Amino acid sequence: MIYRLHHATTYEYAEPVVLGTHFMHLVPRQRPGQVIRESHLEIAPAPELRRNEMDHFGNFTTTVSLTNPHRQFVVAVSATVEVAQPRPPRADLTPCWEEIAAVAPRRAEIAEFCLPSPLAAANEGLAAYGAADFEPGTPILSGLLALNKRVFTDMVYRGGVTNTGTTAAQVLKSKVGVCQDYAHFMIAALRGIGLPARYVSGYLRTLPIEGVEKRRGADQSHAWVSAWLGDAIGWVDFDPTNNLLVYDEHVTLAWGRDFQDVSPLRGIILGGGRHTLRVNVDLDPVLT
Amino acid sequence: MEAFRAIGQEEMSRRAAALNRQVRLAAPFGVVATHHYDPLPAPLTASEFAGIEAGVRQRARMLNALLDDIYGPQRVLHEGLIPPALLLGKPHFIRSMRTGAVLKGPRLALYAVDLIRGPDGKFQVLRDHTGIIPGLGHALTLRRLAATTIPELFRSGGLRSLRPAKEMLVDHLQRESQSGLIAVLSAGAASLAYAPDMMDDALLARALGVLLIEPGDLATRGGALHIKTLSGLLHVATMIRGLSGIELDPLEQGGRPGAGIPGAFGAIRAGVLNMLNMPGSALIEDADFAPFLEAAFQRFLGEDALLPAAFGDPLAIASKAPFISGMGMVSTPLLFRLYAWHDGADWQVLPGGLAFGLDGKAGSSGMKDIWVLDADEPQFFAGAAPLEAPERVTFLPAAHLPSRVADNLFWLGRSVERLESAARLLMLALPRLESGTSLPRDVAERALITRCLAQARMLPADLAGGAVSGKFLRQILARRKPFAGLVKEAARLLHAASERLSPSMLATVQSALDQVEDALVPNEELALGTILGFGATFAGIAAENMSRDGGWLFLEMGRRLERGEILADTLAILLDAAPERLEPGLALGIELADSVLSYDLRHAGILAPAPVLAMLLADAGNPRSLFFQCSALRWSLERLGADDDAEQARLLQAEAVNLANRATELATPLATIAARLRMLSDRVQRRFFTLLPEAHQLEDEEEVAASSL
Repeated sequence: MIYRLHHATTYEYAEPVVLGTHFMHLVPRQRPGQVIRESHLEIAPAPELRRNEMDHFGNFTTTVSLTNPHRQFVVAVSATVEVAQPRPPRADLTPCWEEIAAVAPRRAEIAEFCLPSPLAAANEGLAAYGAADFEPGTPILSGLLALNKRVFTDMVYRGGVTNTGTTAAQVLKSKVGVCQDYAHFMIAALRGIGLPARYVSGYLRTLPIEGVEKRRGADQSHAWVSAWLGDAIGWVDFDPTNNLLVYDEHVTLAWGRDFQDVSPLRGIILGGGRHTLRVNVDLDPVLT
Repeated sequence: MEAFRAIGQEEMSRRAAALNRQVRLAAPFGVVATHHYDPLPAPLTASEFAGIEAGVRQRARMLNALLDDIYGPQRVLHEGLIPPALLLGKPHFIRSMRTGAVLKGPRLALYAVDLIRGPDGKFQVLRDHTGIIPGLGHALTLRRLAATTIPELFRSGGLRSLRPAKEMLVDHLQRESQSGLIAVLSAGAASLAYAPDMMDDALLARALGVLLIEPGDLATRGGALHIKTLSGLLHVATMIRGLSGIELDPLEQGGRPGAGIPGAFGAIRAGVLNMLNMPGSALIEDADFAPFLEAAFQRFLGEDALLPAAFGDPLAIASKAPFISGMGMVSTPLLFRLYAWHDGADWQVLPGGLAFGLDGKAGSSGMKDIWVLDADEPQFFAGAAPLEAPERVTFLPAAHLPSRVADNLFWLGRSVERLESAARLLMLALPRLESGTSLPRDVAERALITRCLAQARMLPADLAGGAVSGKFLRQILARRKPFAGLVKEAARLLHAASERLSPSMLATVQSALDQVEDALVPNEELALGTILGFGATFAGIAAENMSRDGGWLFLEMGRRLERGEILADTLAILLDAAPERLEPGLALGIELADSVLSYDLRHAGILAPAPVLAMLLADAGNPRSLFFQCSALRWSLERLGADDDAEQARLLQAEAVNLANRATELATPLATIAARLRMLSDRVQRRFFTLLPEAHQLEDEEEVAASSL
């Protein structure tokens, strides 16, 4: 599926900002199953300095510095992206989860996703929550699909209750939140039993496929979970907010251990007073 | 050792005490010297040092290669040399520092290693220091102090000097930094928790002749870092890092902007900022990696380690050395800390360092100077003079004064003046409120005094002009303790500004302030004399011991503005009367300005408005006149190039002369002068200190703002 992505973020400040420095994860990354045909990141007003880099996880980062006083700051991403995640094999044909848990910590690119991170660290409760779907000898994909479904069922989707600093342990207690909290919850539960899982930020197609219920998290930045199924299969993505196995409705922006590694837009500003934030996301199929 | 025997043990203990007094003088104000120095050096022979030197160089080369790999291709993880889960779980693995870009300097550029001498005389490695390098400031300072405390020892052997090495380091840093500034980055007084050793940072900055800065002194412009100074933002190219790399950059790592340096990581990755050492370098000093380092020597250098890792209990195997303890000596297992830096081509090892006793708490038995003795190179022998000749001192231009320091000095000047004038007012007030005659003149005088006390916030405002007994005033003093607060504020500012005051100045001022604090405890009233003594000491030190550079100018302006404001406010009260009733106010004014004697000498004690006003307002030779304050302000502002503000001061000077020539309705114009001085103070602050407002974090609230369905 080919998509046209638009993501505009607009900050309006009550007072002029005399100096702004922003660090962004807003250019979609490359990954197996995703081809970036073209992408642009436009910034207004024009920054005095712009650095494009790649971070530790292979995500694209952009650092900009604005030195002229401004009352409005707009970041607009547009991209054409082709996605088709490889379909995993039948669940009963995937390796048993213990095998993955044994190999993962010894692998340079995988190990850190088994370890606790600030927002997705396992505790006893989270480990027990995860273990319920991973009886000894369970094929890993069966366990993952079951856990994905259980998180979807147990959680209540509600905005404004949690924030960007809410941890998985807090979500376990409240069982309420948005996509980010669903993802942290599931990631920490997997790490609790030694399985590698990472946080993926990105977008979900805005208009659902005909005859399908509208997805949660469309029209905004979305987040989900990627789990490693061993060398033969690789990473497979799960969207616990919608109880989906990710295939061709999701466009990946960046990934990391948790939200903190891929925060779309961080900034340090001087001046500005109060500000308002407006976000506009569209992910529409390109008719071919 | 022979020299030591010749001195004798008792004398040696006295010298040890003298050395440590010197250390405390060298310490920045308010920093508790947690370490003490032991004057007996820890000697290394030339051949021992040659062996160590080769081993340290090799080890530093390997550790830098390891860091480059960990923050680059990570072959050590792929090849299984280091378990990935072990390394990637360490908080000191700073992901923002992983980049393929070429950095401005090596990730490891300053290095220290702790060694012990085993039973076979061979040196073994106890631990590495690859992040913050502890003790380098002490190491460079101790030699200089010891040379003056125990000159005999310095005569007795061919001691290799630290100076050529130190000067090479400074030259190297300056060459690398080109036109940019070099600074030691310290956590700052505000966050002692993060500062392993503030004193070490301060000593290092002093020894290298570079700036000592805190995160709050820095601002990012155009992707590079700048220090906020009096001459504006100046580019800083090189920082010696005295605080942890974790949470260093709030832009990339989150956290409070004031606590770190937003944009530091980006500047490092872009090659416009050098840090010694680069953030994340502390990772490999973790003891968990020790078992894997031997293999890393082979992997990166294809060599075995020249210095083996210590095996077994270091306390049991380390060679011992004598330490001065009380009037005697104790023998303690010894740790040698050697220092090295990369000079752009290769590693240089400092021919010296610090040695510590290994037993008990680290450093509890004292720090020793490591001496490298060149027995076979007689050209290093010195005659009677200590080997370390006077230091080559690098003077920092006043223009590089960080705004923070100028700000602190400005408020220090104000604070000391406020303290002194409050003491002066109270000394005058107490006896007068006590003697309770009901003669109209005395009643009028007491009313003036209570108004002045209220103005100085030593009495509640509703008691201004009222009848207040001496007993009542004492009760209020005992309850409110106004001086304790003023003294605390002065001490805080002195601490904050200490890096611009010389050690001897600080010692003198600190001791005077200590006396004030002691005197305040039983009774604030009894401390008034001590407070005036402190004021006089401070003024004397500032006048006689400080060069008239940027720092002094701010101290001076603070003092003059405070004195001018208090004088104008007070006179506005005292002279608020009809001409025939001016006498009590004139008398108090003369006394408050400490000018009774000069007035008596000049005018035979006959109080008349014209000569009193001339003396208090317009006398250019009276350091307590309004004219004098304005004139000193004008001079300072001109020196700082603040011409428009200097013009304001000149206008106030002229106004003071004008007022001296009129005898009526002085209250309002004097109050106006006080207000204009306050405005001038605001302008000075805006011009020099509030160069930048406080930054704040713009969090991405997008995920939080998720709309519900």
